[in-house]
Amino acid sequence: MNRRNFIQNTGLVTAGLTLGGLSLQSFSTDSRTKITILHTNDTHSHIDPFAANHPKYPNQGGVSRRATLINAIRKENPNTLLLDAGDIFQGTPYFNFYGGELEFKLMSMLKYDCATLGNHDFDNGVAGFYKQLPHAKFDFVSANYDFKNTLLDTLVKPYKTFVKNGIKIGVFGLGVELDGLVLKQLYKETKYNDPIAITQQITNTLKKEEHCDLIICLSHLGYQYKGDPTKISDLKLAAATNNIDLIIGGHTHTFLDKPTSVTNTDGKQVLVNQVGKYGINVGRVDFYFDDLKNITSNGGSIPV
Amino acid sequence: MNYFNFKFLAGCALFLMMFSCTPSKKQLVEIQTRLIPVTDTYQTDSLIENYILPYRNSVHKEMSTVLSYTPIDLNSFDGKLESTLGNLLADLCYEQANPVFNKRTQKNIDFVLFNHGGIRAPIGKGGITKRHAFQLMPFENTLVVVELTGDKVLEMVTYLNKSNRAHPISKHVKLHFKKDVMTTFTINKQNFDPSKNYYVLTSDYLQKGGDKMNFFANPVSLHELDYKFRAAILDYFAKTDTIKTQLDQRFKRLN
Repeated sequence: MNRRNFIQNTGLVTAGLTLGGLSLQSFSTDSRTKITILHTNDTHSHIDPFAANHPKYPNQGGVSRRATLINAIRKENPNTLLLDAGDIFQGTPYFNFYGGELEFKLMSMLKYDCATLGNHDFDNGVAGFYKQLPHAKFDFVSANYDFKNTLLDTLVKPYKTFVKNGIKIGVFGLGVELDGLVLKQLYKETKYNDPIAITQQITNTLKKEEHCDLIICLSHLGYQYKGDPTKISDLKLAAATNNIDLIIGGHTHTFLDKPTSVTNTDGKQVLVNQVGKYGINVGRVDFYFDDLKNITSNGGSIPV
Repeated sequence: MNYFNFKFLAGCALFLMMFSCTPSKKQLVEIQTRLIPVTDTYQTDSLIENYILPYRNSVHKEMSTVLSYTPIDLNSFDGKLESTLGNLLADLCYEQANPVFNKRTQKNIDFVLFNHGGIRAPIGKGGITKRHAFQLMPFENTLVVVELTGDKVLEMVTYLNKSNRAHPISKHVKLHFKKDVMTTFTINKQNFDPSKNYYVLTSDYLQKGGDKMNFFANPVSLHELDYKFRAAILDYFAKTDTIKTQLDQRFKRLN
C-alpha cells in the first residue's frame, strides 16, 4: 500500500467521526475543478423528436434540440465529456435506409467523445458497423468484446483516457452477451468475455498505470434483471468490483430519476445511471475536484 | 428539473492529507447529478437541423411510396383466435418464402406460425405505403423454416390452446377447439399425423424462444432463408395491387 492510499483509508474512518454533518457549500467554489459528464443511451436512430400527438413521448427528444442543450452546457463548462452507452442503431427508417451513417455523422457534429457498442449496433453485422465507422469522429471502447478475429480488430479500444483541466478521466466499455440476442452470422467471431474479470483488470490499469482521477464505465449490460438475479448487470458489476466512479448504462431502457448509489468491494460508492431511451433525456453528472491548500485555507469543512 | 447531490467519504482524506505534506493533487470532493429532459424548451440547432433535412425529406418521400391497396381496415384484433392482419401476414410470408425454401430443399413449407405480439401496427383502409410495412415490422427479424416432429407440433397446439391469442397461422391449418378439447386439426386438408415431421415457417426471433414458443427449440432441422420478415412484406405489397384477406375460421374455439 502506498502512502497516499494509506492516508486516504485512514481518513475514511477518522474524518467520518470528527467532521460528520458539515457541508462543502460554505467554500468559495473558485478553486474547484468541475468535470461535467453528459450521457445518452439507446438512442436507437431517433433523430427527429416524437410527434406532438405521440401517446407516450409527445414532442420529446430530437437530435437538434439535444445539440442546443449540449452546446449550452459546453459553453458553461468547457471541461465536458459527452458519452453514449450503445444501441445507437435501429429503431427508425433512418437506420434502415442509411445504415447508421446519419447517426454517426450527427453524433460527430455534437462532438461525442466516446461510445460503446450495444447489441443493436451489430444489426447490420460487424461489417455494417465497420462500414459506418469512418463517419464517427469519436472513439468506440469495449473491454470485454474481443474483436481480434473480426474487421473491428484494433478499431475498438478497451478504454480511452481524456485530460480535462488537469483531471485525467479513464473511460472503458462493456458489452452484453451477444449469444441469444444477436445472430451469430452478424456478430461473427466477436468474443464475449466476463465483464467482472475484465473490469478488475482494466480499472487496475486505469488506476495504477494511467493514474486516472476518475474512472467511468460505459456499459450495455443492463441496469438489473429481477427475473434472473444471476445475470450480470450494472448493479451487480458496481457491487462486485472497485475503482469505478460512475457506470453509465443502457440496454434495459431504464428511466432513472437519479443515479443509484451502490457500495463497491472497497466500501466506496459507485453511481449507476441510465436515462431511458430514444434521446428523450440527457444525463448530467458534475464531478468537483479540489486540492489540499484550498481546503486548508477555507477552514476545513468537508462533506461526509 | 431533478437535481441531486451525492456526498461521500472520499473527500475526507483531504483533511488528513493537509497535515501530511503530500504534494498537492486534486481530489474528488462532490458530485452533482441531473436528469435533463429533451423538450421543446430547447430551440433546434439550425446547423444540425439543416444537415438532417435532406435525409428526412428523402426518407419521407421513400416511406410515402404507395405499394398496394386494402379495401378494408386490417388489424390484429378483429377476430377471436384469428385476425385479418394476422391471416394476411402468415399467408403472404408463405407465398414469398416457399419458393425460396423449395428451390433449396425441393420440399414445401407445411404451414406458418408467428406471434400475435409481433404485429406492431394496424393498416387502415386505403393505400398501403412502405411506412406501413416498416411500422408493421420494425425489427430486423428473418424468416426461418423449422422441421418439427409430430410431438413438437402437438406441443405447439397445447401452447396455442393455453395462450388463447390470435397468433398468426397460415391458411394451411384448420385448428378448432370445443372448449379445451381439440376437435379438428388438419394441415393442408390432411388430418394431422403425429408420426410425421412438418416444416413450419416462423421468424428467427420465435425460433430462438421468443414469446416462449419453446417447441421451436432444438428442431429436427433448421433452415435459415436469409430473407428478412419485412422484406417479404414489402415484396408482397409491391407485387399485389389489391390486398384480399379475410377471417376464415382457421383457428377458433367453440364454447
